[in-house]
Amino acid sequence: MIHKYTNKYIFAIIGFLVLFALYLQYSIKQSTQELKQQEISKAERYAEQIGAYIESKIVKAGKVNLEKQPHLREELNKILSTFLTEEYRYIFLLHKDDKGHYRFLLDGSLEDPVEYNTIFFPKSNLFDTVYTTQEPRIIEQKEGVEHVWLSLLHPIVINGRTEALLVLDLSKGYGEYLSNFNSPLMSIVTLMQLFLVISLLFLAYIAYHYHKLRESVLKDPLTSVHTKVFLQEFFDRESVDEYDAILIDIDEFKQINEKYGYESGNTVLKRFSRKMVDLLPETAKVIRTGGSEFFIIVQKGGEDFDLLAKTLFTRLSEQRYFVENETISLTFSMSAIIVPKGTNSIFNIQRTLDEKLLEIKSRGKNELAVIGTLTSDEIKYKDLDYIKEALAEERLLCLYQPIYHTKTRKVSKYEALVRLMDKEDPKKLIEPKYFINMIKGTTQYIKMSKLVLRQVFEVLRQYPELELSLNLDLDDLYNVDMMKLITQELSRNKKAANRLTFEILESNEIKDYEQVALIFQQLKTFGSKIAIDDFGSGYANYVYLIKLDIDILKIDGKIIQELEHHPERTKVMVTSINELAKVYGYEVVAEFVSSKEIYEAVSKLDVTYSQGYYFGKPEPLDPQYISQIPK
Amino acid sequence: MKKILILLILVYGQLFALEKESTLKIYNQIFSSLVSKPVVSVYTNDKEYKDVFSYSDKIKLVDTASVADIVLITNRLTLFNVMKERQWMEQLDEKPILFVTDYRLLKYSLDIVGAFYWRKGRSQLLFIKDRLNQYHISLPQEYHAFMVDTL
Repeated sequence: MIHKYTNKYIFAIIGFLVLFALYLQYSIKQSTQELKQQEISKAERYAEQIGAYIESKIVKAGKVNLEKQPHLREELNKILSTFLTEEYRYIFLLHKDDKGHYRFLLDGSLEDPVEYNTIFFPKSNLFDTVYTTQEPRIIEQKEGVEHVWLSLLHPIVINGRTEALLVLDLSKGYGEYLSNFNSPLMSIVTLMQLFLVISLLFLAYIAYHYHKLRESVLKDPLTSVHTKVFLQEFFDRESVDEYDAILIDIDEFKQINEKYGYESGNTVLKRFSRKMVDLLPETAKVIRTGGSEFFIIVQKGGEDFDLLAKTLFTRLSEQRYFVENETISLTFSMSAIIVPKGTNSIFNIQRTLDEKLLEIKSRGKNELAVIGTLTSDEIKYKDLDYIKEALAEERLLCLYQPIYHTKTRKVSKYEALVRLMDKEDPKKLIEPKYFINMIKGTTQYIKMSKLVLRQVFEVLRQYPELELSLNLDLDDLYNVDMMKLITQELSRNKKAANRLTFEILESNEIKDYEQVALIFQQLKTFGSKIAIDDFGSGYANYVYLIKLDIDILKIDGKIIQELEHHPERTKVMVTSINELAKVYGYEVVAEFVSSKEIYEAVSKLDVTYSQGYYFGKPEPLDPQYISQIPK
Repeated sequence: MKKILILLILVYGQLFALEKESTLKIYNQIFSSLVSKPVVSVYTNDKEYKDVFSYSDKIKLVDTASVADIVLITNRLTLFNVMKERQWMEQLDEKPILFVTDYRLLKYSLDIVGAFYWRKGRSQLLFIKDRLNQYHISLPQEYHAFMVDTL
């Protein structure tokens, strides 16, 4: 946001400085003019005084005609010569003869003085004007005149008649001196102006290139749609919750590149993005976020977003592309979200759409999913910084869901389930589904695990009869830091370690049974038990029973819930698992026991332990219930 | 440094050329008004004026005063020499017109019709009526303001 205004400020400052420099230039010129004017006024007064002196001398002599007064002329010439300085180059007296020609009466020049009555042709009609009007005048000399800047004409009036003209010439050099009086200052100001103008031009040049560069950064050169940088800047000034969003990824686009070449692939991408832009409303923005991935934001308040997303999906699916003499169509995965009010992070929206897209891809791609039920809080919880802050502030707690002995209906143990607390409202608890995938494999995950283990062991120490189970992802077993943390905690809490069960969750298939078996063994040396979670679904299969030394089987909730819908077939499966477990000496826990009917079915099938909402939700530990645990 | 020096020389040369040009322009006009010929033959022994006139296509420089339409005199010595030649020039049908560049020279001979000179920083052009008449010269209207009866 700062740089957005900085450019304008720099231009404004330099513009202001240019104006200031112009003002300085104007002031200096004014000051020079004033100086000249002062000097001219001084010269006028000077001429007036000389004129008055000459008049008095002539009057005193009693003779206006100086022809026969060589001594007086000589005296007056001498007097005039005393007035000559560097500033006043010539001083002389002219009179008009009978023919109207000007002739010299007096000349104050010491060098090359002009003889009395020598003819003189003035270069201006103002001589006649002064003669007639008897008003002093100033003439600025120009063509045909050398060494003279200004001529001051002062009439010598005796008895109301103009007898002569006193001419006082100010030297050209003096005029130049006055003109150049402020020239050092003027030079500085001119240099300053030059510098500022060059700076301004340079800035304009930089601004132009910056604009060009920005354009290239904000616009994808291949498809001409926007780039990620644009998205970031766009939401610096726009509210996220005023837009809905779509994420599109072309399925297997790599194959098009490989089959038809990158050039053809680029052509397809160009056409695909152009089609998208054509199909979307004008207010929508298309951003290329990856090779073949596009993020779209659509301003709310237009047509129904759900319909828009579906139409876009259908129309883009129908589009055909002519490549290398073949007509091909594209399939793509598309997730869309109606952004809830109050959402302020576009990255959380992107992450949510990304997760949804992954889900679509794992289901087989070429599908549209519209997320419309998320709250702004749920989107907020997908913000890594938010989760980081929660962990840094240790806003974490464990809830405990009871595991009941099916026959006695008494609490046997609890499963610890982690929750984070909302920043604004600590009563709002954040379930792991919002953040666990985001932090898995990061130091935040280790940090969270450390906090969970600390709380769990604290509870175990507080309640010596209590047994707890704790979820552990299969990937955690391969993580050196994680295993180091677990073994450290187990060593530190040796007395309580035998009351802790690790429930192994799988997100991937076990590749190295020997390694896993070894890790299980390591955990069991502390007395801890190993349970296989969600047995019967996904990757948790019967091979485990052969290859791994485990203690508990937790039958997947999806199987147990089927006792309600397909009781007979499900009973056969549960009985089979139960019997098998008995043979191997494993305890069996039925998960998702959410109703009385399921509980009764589980009880009849002789499953030792039951867990589910029928018995209790995950809640903070209640000492009253703990006291019921059989010793 | 060398470039700056060349530039200065060129600028000075240019200014000097401008001064020459304006001088030539003035004399072209003066001489054309005195002699009604497309090309006026002028005699002068002043090197500077010779140089200036050499650029004119209206003034033709000649080596002797006797064959000139106008003799331009710039100093007393030249005037003296010309006046000596003047005596036998009297026999010629058309005597050369004498023109000077100094006001004081006007007083030395009644044959000098006018002068162009500088006084108190101002250029002064002066013609003497009687002397013009002596040569049967009639000046254009614009020069009448510079014509005087006596010095």
